[in-house]
Amino acid sequence: MTEDPESKPPSPPRANWRVVLRRVVYPLLVIAVIAAVIWWIEYRPGDNVSPTGERYGPVDLPVALVPLGAKVAAEEGALAPDFLLESLRADDMRLSDFRGQAVVLNFWATWCGPCRKEIPQLVEAYDRHRDEGLVVIAVNLQEGRGIVRPWAEDFGMEFPILIDRDGEVGDKYRARSLPQTYFIDPAGVIQSMFIGPLLDERDGTDVQDAISDSELDLRIAEILSPVTDEGS
Amino acid sequence: MDPSKAAERGASGAVGWSRTFGLLNPLRAVWWLFTSVRFAILLLITLCGVSLVGVLLPQKPARVRGDILAEQDWLQIQEGRFGFVADVFDRTDLFDIFHSGWFAVLLGITVASTAAYIISRFPGVWRSITRPRKRVPDRYFETAPDSLTLDSAIAVEDLEGALRRSRYRVDRFEEEGATYLFADRFAWAQLGTLLTHAAIVIFIFSAVVSRIDSFSTGLFLAEGATLPVFAVRNVNQIQVELLDSHAEFAADGQPLDYYSDIVVYRRGEEVKRCRSTVNSPCSYEGYHFYQTAYFGFGAALEVRDLSSGNVIYRETLALVETAPSPQVVVRDADGELLFEDSLVLTDSLTSEDLRYVGTIVELVDGRILTMGLLEGEADLQLVVIEAASGEGVQLVLDEGETGVSGGLEVTYVARQEIPLGAIADLPLPDSARGGEGGAVLQMRNVVYGGDNVSSGTNVSTGVVGTPELTISGLKLQAVTLDPGEVVVIDELQYTFLGQREFSGLNVRRDRSDYLIWLGAALTVVGLMITFWVPRRRLWAKISSDGTQLAGQAPRHAKFSRELRRLAASAGTKRR
Repeated sequence: MTEDPESKPPSPPRANWRVVLRRVVYPLLVIAVIAAVIWWIEYRPGDNVSPTGERYGPVDLPVALVPLGAKVAAEEGALAPDFLLESLRADDMRLSDFRGQAVVLNFWATWCGPCRKEIPQLVEAYDRHRDEGLVVIAVNLQEGRGIVRPWAEDFGMEFPILIDRDGEVGDKYRARSLPQTYFIDPAGVIQSMFIGPLLDERDGTDVQDAISDSELDLRIAEILSPVTDEGS
Repeated sequence: MDPSKAAERGASGAVGWSRTFGLLNPLRAVWWLFTSVRFAILLLITLCGVSLVGVLLPQKPARVRGDILAEQDWLQIQEGRFGFVADVFDRTDLFDIFHSGWFAVLLGITVASTAAYIISRFPGVWRSITRPRKRVPDRYFETAPDSLTLDSAIAVEDLEGALRRSRYRVDRFEEEGATYLFADRFAWAQLGTLLTHAAIVIFIFSAVVSRIDSFSTGLFLAEGATLPVFAVRNVNQIQVELLDSHAEFAADGQPLDYYSDIVVYRRGEEVKRCRSTVNSPCSYEGYHFYQTAYFGFGAALEVRDLSSGNVIYRETLALVETAPSPQVVVRDADGELLFEDSLVLTDSLTSEDLRYVGTIVELVDGRILTMGLLEGEADLQLVVIEAASGEGVQLVLDEGETGVSGGLEVTYVARQEIPLGAIADLPLPDSARGGEGGAVLQMRNVVYGGDNVSSGTNVSTGVVGTPELTISGLKLQAVTLDPGEVVVIDELQYTFLGQREFSGLNVRRDRSDYLIWLGAALTVVGLMITFWVPRRRLWAKISSDGTQLAGQAPRHAKFSRELRRLAASAGTKRR
């Protein structure tokens, strides 16, 4: 051990809030700013804006469409949350545009095998009930038009296909797995929700947990002629 | 050295901070603990010891971690090795040290301690660099680790010149009839040690970042297919499309190399198109796509409902099982070749007491035979029976054997294995519903490993012809399709789109990579500075009584020799 000529005896502690500010508060602020920048880079929203300047994604339901005291939520018995999305044909659509019609709202993706198997059932159901006012809206989660279009054309999906690029609408509707389908009556109320593929039974050739072939029709019948509180 | 002085020295760097944290009283004790060198050494020794235990004791493999049943099985094996202690080891996470909470805490404390050490020492080091002590007490010329006393008063200009020639920064001042010099070289090199310490902090911090932030997942996708990287509902969702999977094989069938051409999509837009290999991944925004696996036997199948015109099924099916396929040659009595091919066996057949899985074969001359492999036989003998009458061919052959019957010479050349898959959810024609359910696909003439494999180009397996898909279960007799060929059954049109290959991709992101590079760079730079350019400080007192030199530098700088060299350079003699 050698003597260090630089050594100096320590001076007694002094209260100095400027030192605290410089050595504690400022570094913490810098760390906070860095953390905020990292968070923003990770989770920044996309520049997903419609030609009219509105941001695609969940939007508020027009006041005129919300009866007094009605709840807006992605759950049975509540008004279906509204959204604005671009369609495969490049026009914008809102869910509230279809108020007055029974809506089957289906969340899907081309990479999702059960979704692919379910599509023919939805196409058939749409063909059967479109004259009765049924609308099927297929919300594709986070894929591009170039991927979705060939599937839509080949599978004969003539109903509106909307693209949820950021997945915010899927998030709003709690689409934790695909496919997921909401059945919405003409008053905009969610009558039921189904997680998984709505497959018909084909003499044991379908997956084991497939539902009976009447399930989709039953749920569609429910929203085509909903039972009101008055029992009408 | 006087202990009180040592204490003073240790405290000098931290004095500014102790002032600050003197105001935040509860933190003061922690701060002093963290700035203690002894505590830091204790932590590092503990960390090394624990890591050694982690190396010596078996650690839970990644495949069992998080799987309760698999973990229990694994622990049972350890109980066989360690007895009752295994339970203690498990409860204290000694079987999973590097993922345990207490190890993370230990790492965190080590980071905090090392960081505190750096912070506490930095002001003193910086002051020593920018405002070094230029005048030392005369006593120091006696006690300095490196010193030199000269016989006579040296010419100040000569010594100053010698120092400057050796690239020292020199300050000169007069005091009480003597001339003092202060010379400093590589002053900034004192930061080298701090850089090395900072590297330690960065290394440990990178381990924490890797533990918290790293992401890894596996994708297995067919050519033309797209899969998401994250689960549903991730704002940063990325999709990967496999354009082409390519493999190269040695003559014995062993894979030599494979790669995948992929497209990466984000928010529906193509953001990257690249090639991914085992060692050279495709990268996008910190995500690395490594090729990890290859599978060559996929069949793309499409079913279209002609009543609506819509596709109702389009899948690329991985044929992961295999089925035996005998290679057979049939000649007539004149040696004329009537048949030579590999058979795809599709039907369960019986003939008298023979039960075999076979198929119907029409020879060039129009004769009809059934051929197949005996059921339940280990060596899978070939059965050949002429369908027409009992007068015809009836043979049972071993592999490599030739038999003559009914005027035909039949050779069972060899048995191959071809890809097979049972498909439960393939839409069936109305006439085929109500059976056992599902369809069985077999593909022969499979080829793999080439750029054009998907279009059926034969590459490396030596088979003849394009891939053929045989589907059993659509109707009474199996259907065989070439790539692009269709068959219509009860308004359903089945199309074999072609053979497809699969790639296994590992998607990984670990941003601690950058920190490790930074830490490595700081370590190298810090060590190079410390050992190659150590700081040298020299104090000189020149008076009529003589000349005294005192120096301070790390031991490996051999500063005493440097002092002698400088004195000689200044033209003086030692006392």
